[in-house]
Amino acid sequence: MISVKRAVLPRAKNTGAKKHLSLRKYEATVGFLFLLPWLLGFILLKAVPIFTALGFSFTNFQMLRPEQTHFIGLHNYLTFLKDQAAGASLFGSLSYFILSVPIEMLLAMFLAAVFCSERLKGKRIMRTLFFMPSIIPAVAIFLVIFGLIDPRSGWINRLIITPLHLSSSLPLNNLFPIILSLWTIGPGFLIMLAAMQSIPRELYEAARVDGAGPINRFVSITMPLASPAIFFSLVINMISSFGGVALLDRGLAYNQSISPMEGYINYQMFSRSDLGYASALAWVMFIVVMAITILLFRTTRYWVHFPEERTDEDF
Amino acid sequence: MKIFKKSRPRGSSVLTLRLWDFTGTSMLTLGIWILLIIFLSPLSYMVITSLKSSDEFRDRTAPLLPAQRLTYTYNGKKCDMYQVPTPDGKVHQWALVEAKRQSSKFIDPAHPEAGLIDWQGSWRALTGVYRYRIYWNNYPALWSAVNYPRYLKNSAIIVVIGEIGILLSSIAVAYGFSRFRIPGGKFLFFLLIATIVIPDSITLVPTFYIFSKVFHWWGTFYPLIVPAFFGSAIYIFLLRQNFKSIPRDLDEAAMLDGAGPLRTLVSIIIPQAIPAIVTVGLLYFFNTWNELRMSSLYLGIAPDKQTMAFTGIGGGGIGFTPETLQASAVILMAVPLLVLFLSQRFFMKDMVVTAIEK
Repeated sequence: MISVKRAVLPRAKNTGAKKHLSLRKYEATVGFLFLLPWLLGFILLKAVPIFTALGFSFTNFQMLRPEQTHFIGLHNYLTFLKDQAAGASLFGSLSYFILSVPIEMLLAMFLAAVFCSERLKGKRIMRTLFFMPSIIPAVAIFLVIFGLIDPRSGWINRLIITPLHLSSSLPLNNLFPIILSLWTIGPGFLIMLAAMQSIPRELYEAARVDGAGPINRFVSITMPLASPAIFFSLVINMISSFGGVALLDRGLAYNQSISPMEGYINYQMFSRSDLGYASALAWVMFIVVMAITILLFRTTRYWVHFPEERTDEDF
Repeated sequence: MKIFKKSRPRGSSVLTLRLWDFTGTSMLTLGIWILLIIFLSPLSYMVITSLKSSDEFRDRTAPLLPAQRLTYTYNGKKCDMYQVPTPDGKVHQWALVEAKRQSSKFIDPAHPEAGLIDWQGSWRALTGVYRYRIYWNNYPALWSAVNYPRYLKNSAIIVVIGEIGILLSSIAVAYGFSRFRIPGGKFLFFLLIATIVIPDSITLVPTFYIFSKVFHWWGTFYPLIVPAFFGSAIYIFLLRQNFKSIPRDLDEAAMLDGAGPLRTLVSIIIPQAIPAIVTVGLLYFFNTWNELRMSSLYLGIAPDKQTMAFTGIGGGGIGFTPETLQASAVILMAVPLLVLFLSQRFFMKDMVVTAIEK
């Protein structure tokens, strides 16, 4: 009843500051109750595990011998510095991020821009078809790609390499991450498309009258106005490139992850039951991902035009 | 370009303009369709391979499309047919009866009474005789080998209960974030955004330990369902953006009529945000249907609780061959694809993250 807010606020003000205060208190309480499920989930499923993992990372916690756990200081982190496999997996994850995200972003942005054109016909079905691979389970994609690149019976071998007499040592295995990232463009594409389509037509008409060409219009109208959506899809793609779940699942079974670092953590955790070392590795990955995120957010002031968030005063 | 044409004093008649328009439209549409076909082409491998028999898949000289190798039964023995060139320049379709390195014995199926024909040369260099035909048997074979109803039932349980949980909690939290002044609300919203980017690996170690060793939930649905009731940060973010775009005048009017916050949510906000809520529900559905990481972790030890995604890695059946695996992947994909095509009208329609406030 408080949340009568704006409409009744003038009257509420007249009835005195005390009532206004209690109304605000009521509003805060109700709002807080609505946030409660997420807040509980945040504490129980995110904050507590993250700091528990930090605690684990300073011990030699073994899943099979929990009673022998004791504090070993920074030993796990020092092991990480010496562990070449771990370094390689971190490097692999970073290069997958650097390789896949630009491919996804560019293709999705190109498609979204083309789909804004009135000349393109049959948009609804094409939009669905371009989105389609994004809901194909990664397991199925895995089967398709490995069928295609199989050195004996694979189609790439039969259709391209053998007829053209190419060397058989082409790095075909790299096709899996590339096709996987190309087939993940769906959410980013639709988010950017929705943002681009919501830009008022009049802006383009005005720019056209002023003599701006298509590329000029894209760079100076579409890009800035769609920049929050572009940034949002950048974040989504970043998360999935590190093996996380952002909007749509891209994961295989837990022991065959796409992101090498995640795969290595799971190997330490489940195959070697070394929870202490796995936690230390997970913390390293957490810090790397957070650092990239903060860097990305830092860059937003130069290119992302966030909508004016209405502040409390406007309520 | 159009303007240039229009502003020309005379000349370009309506017809040439239309022709120009038509050419542009068809070129663009054609180009994008070609791109689409290239984009989806790897899928053809899956579908085509699933329509091959095991022998066809292993036969490296067989054509790419499903084709059966022709054979001829001679004296009770099945003989493969080959395209056999003879010195007189003709190519015969003969069946190979006796294979030897230097010379082989063939039989002509058209004239078996003529007896065996000696042929000089290496039979391995010959190509077989194929007839295009589709081999459907992988699908019925899979259906009888894999207990699909059980996998479907398990997936349905997780999806339906999880869907209820994720929608109830995410809608409530998004409403809380979009409509209430809460002390520290900005900080909480910042935490929400930060939650989106937290990698799963970091929470996996302790949650797995707690779920499996403390709650003894290893091999049950609970680790997959319970977290849904706490909402998901990215869905909350999307719904909050959408709720913010609903004019406040509407809920204020409702509140003046005496509706409480919950009533306002149910009768004003939710009806306005149906496309966004459907989108979030669909995203959760696709996600849960395809999800294998968590389910393989928690349900790997419980074969009777496994979900549809397990059928894609050969769960539930022994002796999966490549072509039956491809067929199982086709079956696995079928449900989400059907749902996507049925819902394409709504899907991701109102998910606008822009610089312009509605």
